Amino acid sequence: MNQKMGAGVQIEFVSSRVLEGRDSEHKLKYILDNVRKDKILVLEEALTPQEEKTLIQITMELVSKNFPGIEVSALGKGENDLRTTLIRLLGGRTPGLTVVGPSNLVRELRRDPNKLHLLAGT
Amino acid sequence: MSVTRMPFANLFKWLSGLFGKKKHFSLGLYGNPSVGKSTLANRISKDWTGEEMSEVSEIPHTTRAVVKKERVRIKLNGQELTMNLLDMPGIATKVDYKEFVKYGLKAEEAQQRAKEATRGIIEAIKWLEHVDVAMVVMDATQDPYTQVNITILGNLEARSIPVIIVANKMDLKKANADRIREAFPQHEVVEISALTGRNIQELYETVGKHAG
Repeated sequence: MNQKMGAGVQIEFVSSRVLEGRDSEHKLKYILDNVRKDKILVLEEALTPQEEKTLIQITMELVSKNFPGIEVSALGKGENDLRTTLIRLLGGRTPGLTVVGPSNLVRELRRDPNKLHLLAGT
Repeated sequence: MSVTRMPFANLFKWLSGLFGKKKHFSLGLYGNPSVGKSTLANRISKDWTGEEMSEVSEIPHTTRAVVKKERVRIKLNGQELTMNLLDMPGIATKVDYKEFVKYGLKAEEAQQRAKEATRGIIEAIKWLEHVDVAMVVMDATQDPYTQVNITILGNLEARSIPVIIVANKMDLKKANADRIREAFPQHEVVEISALTGRNIQELYETVGKHAG
């Protein structure tokens, strides 16, 4: 694992282009695959409430002795209203930011409400 | 018999809309672990049926499966209604068995409890879209801006399910319901203490407004 190489924490900033064109299932798979590799991801978009809900559900299915779960927080609106859906269908971006990481690395992730505070460490 | 069987919930809702306001509804209690959902469920159940419904303890995730009290007859705002009361497991983004060890559980018991807790969370999430009215219970002494609260509210809003935010533990000195109002100004916030029963009548009246 990445952390075993040193004392640092690996943070990956992910452009919205990486997730562009992926449906929710593949987007969440991408997130969880990386989080389980002990990475903290900063995504250039907010997840929709439905995606957040599914992310928690899938995470719970994966919880084990070595993977207790995730910390996640988002800024901006990942809504499923008509305007947002249209923008996405037309290949546009909706503003927002999501931070997600393994809970054994993310000690604290707080939203307040227009800023995210992250405290990470092994 | 459960009236809120998931496959028929939407049909039931649609028919109710056609034939006027319904006399039967399901009320789900949602929130993070340890915010007092089961204490509140017991308070409501005892007030209307004379008996409690859920186990309560200081260990998080004591409720690890949906606890149902069905066909509870209530009188709200002059109306007689029947309610299915659903005490949901607390929703979390992590379940670390080591947390349970701190409460004195053996490692094996703690791991089993963690496994049950994850199943409970999945079950609670599945029920999110099948309740008629939701109480989102928050501990008024804690930061309300948790991802769990945001996710629960976002999903209920997306389905247009009526929401009552319950600012619980108002009997404690550190409690601050204004923080909750500032965080979620789009919802009605009722300040209560499930433990002492403070302001519980106002909560019932608010339920009546949404369900009756």
